[in-house]
Amino acid sequence: RLSPGRRRRRGPAAEGSSPRDGGFMLCQVSVLYFARSAELAGLRCETLSVPREITSLQLWEEIVKVHPRLALIRDQVVFAVRQEYVLLGDQLLVLQPGDEVAIIPPISGG
Amino acid sequence: MEESEDVPKDFIKLKSEKLSVDEVSQLVVSPYCGAVSLFVGTTRNNFEGKRVIHLEYEAYISMAETEIKKICRDVREKWPSVKHIAVHHRLGVVPITEASVIIAVSSPHRAESLEAVMYCINTLKASVPIWKKEIYEDEYSWKENKECFWANSEK
Repeated sequence: RLSPGRRRRRGPAAEGSSPRDGGFMLCQVSVLYFARSAELAGLRCETLSVPREITSLQLWEEIVKVHPRLALIRDQVVFAVRQEYVLLGDQLLVLQPGDEVAIIPPISGG
Repeated sequence: MEESEDVPKDFIKLKSEKLSVDEVSQLVVSPYCGAVSLFVGTTRNNFEGKRVIHLEYEAYISMAETEIKKICRDVREKWPSVKHIAVHHRLGVVPITEASVIIAVSSPHRAESLEAVMYCINTLKASVPIWKKEIYEDEYSWKENKECFWANSEK
């Protein structure tokens, strides 16, 4: 469930563009911040406009542009995209409007 | 009741009120089970020589519930005789010695429920998006489970 290097997923190309052009189309996603990331960002949730096709690392970089202090925890976070864990790396995400993207610092439940 | 009416159930709750061992164990009791195994996670009053005043928990609630459901599904695959599973986790402020998590599992014989409870807490610590903040006298610290593969092990 949590193995690194999850398989690449490619979704359908956006209408009127080839798969390689899908990156310029933007969509609005809900970004959720938890624990230390909420302290660094200064908020718990917001809507951001990001490219629909984007790697998880590129998505992180988009979010750090908005909240530079998040760079402090770059080595210790993963994402949850549509409630599935995603490492920061070259996994290609195909985002839908309204998708939840959560910043997940190291967990400590139990 | 007939055993076919005692359908296996998962009881998952994240709440800010005090947890109850009685309540959680009663949820999983079954006339077809000879064993109820429990794990209770409580708050300690010290960490590395610092006095812990209390703990605070927060969660990505919808995903935490989904991840706990996955754990229950895994338990049932590994230990098919398990009857009921209850996982209650507290959110918000948890005073010292109070329970932050209670896990209860029932099964006809004890081996399965004992193993399933251990699997539940170990996997919860590795995969459920819940965070704990330890509040000390002069500072606080976000904890990181060693089971969490994206935590830095060296600090």
